Amino acid sequence: MVAGTEPAAHAAEGTRRTPRARAGQAAGFVSGASPAALALYALALGAGLGLASADWATRGGYPFGGVAVGAWTAWPRAGSTAADPYTRAVNARRGEVPLAVGEGLLLTAAVDDSGRALDATCTYRVAGITPPARAWTLTAAGRGAPEPGRPGLREGFTSTEILREADGRFAIVVGSEVEPGNWLPSPRASGPIRLALRLYDTPVAASAGTLDRDAVPAITRMGCAS
Amino acid sequence: MRLVNLRVVYATACGLALAGIVHVATVFAIPALSETDALTRARSSESLEHPQRVYTLATHGEPAPAEAWLPIPDPSVAVGVCAYDLEDGPMRVSARTGAMMLSLAVHGRKGAFYAVTDQAAVRGALDLVVLTRAQYDAALANDDENEPSRDVRIVAPGDQGFVVVRVIAGLPSQRAAANDAVQAVSCTTDSPDEPDPEPAPANPPPTNPPPAGRAKPNG
Repeated sequence: MVAGTEPAAHAAEGTRRTPRARAGQAAGFVSGASPAALALYALALGAGLGLASADWATRGGYPFGGVAVGAWTAWPRAGSTAADPYTRAVNARRGEVPLAVGEGLLLTAAVDDSGRALDATCTYRVAGITPPARAWTLTAAGRGAPEPGRPGLREGFTSTEILREADGRFAIVVGSEVEPGNWLPSPRASGPIRLALRLYDTPVAASAGTLDRDAVPAITRMGCAS
Repeated sequence: MRLVNLRVVYATACGLALAGIVHVATVFAIPALSETDALTRARSSESLEHPQRVYTLATHGEPAPAEAWLPIPDPSVAVGVCAYDLEDGPMRVSARTGAMMLSLAVHGRKGAFYAVTDQAAVRGALDLVVLTRAQYDAALANDDENEPSRDVRIVAPGDQGFVVVRVIAGLPSQRAAANDAVQAVSCTTDSPDEPDPEPAPANPPPTNPPPAGRAKPNG
């Protein structure tokens, strides 16, 4: 009778977390303590947890391999043969064709310079200079598929079309309200957004670790709607 | 009672260790088993001579087509891929450079192992030949000493892979031209042996290996 309490606790805990649910039931079943049931329990636990954690680690963005440069994260090895297995798995699942080292460098930003997550309801100023490159593009994207019915005004700026100041610096305003100058409309009405800076034919791709935070555009929050 | 608990703890420990092994094995197996990765999709293409359109830029009249499968594409870069299988012979990629920046990257199963931009072009033409080590040695032996080849020869680590063509449209008005520039790149399979004096039939069935023939960019 006392022996039944421990597996019951297992079972109660198992209902909260899905991968362990089956394992918890198996633990309850194990009070009979047959070796075969125990082996089955271990196998189910291993398969369930292993597959679930592999799925979690390779879903979405690259789990690691980035180089932090200010608010930006550079991904110099995402497309090279030196990419880690997680990066390769993420690329394979998404069908991504990453930039090779000789081709360019991808930098992404999900937070502003003070570390707050980028949100579509806020207005941001992305200003400064970029590392040396023959061409670059700066785009904003939301999570998931684009919202239907939202007019596709502009998804990004290229180095050719951007308006610069006299000293060659530029400032882009990302927000939902129309702004003079380089205005990049928010990709959606609400929710998190990400900025991507792609440098094409750049010498810094091979040495992303030496990039200084002054060499990438600063992301400053100017205000939020609500 | 204690015996049962110990056995459950032992089974849990075994399960956790197994979970670690399953996790690592799954992560390593995903690129090989995936059906949505770039290599599998590139190899499904029917087009033999020109890159498969991966991302076509939206021009004023027509939006980007649904065949685009890049998750977060760059809206000002047109992308095309050519799959290669070196068992059929070396792969020749010929591009003419223009006003827009063009880059070629050669991907194998493990990732990109070579990339070149239009700045490396000789007289406006960029000729890239992807081959195996044996094919490289054969090409070297067949070289005419008086007329050295201007091809850029790259030895691939594996037999299968794809070449990515990217053309950057700096201005929205250049987008149609960028789409055309990707399509203008030619990807042909050289014959595995000596260059054939007779070119193969122009339209072989898709199941056959691609036509043998050397695509010279200057006609």
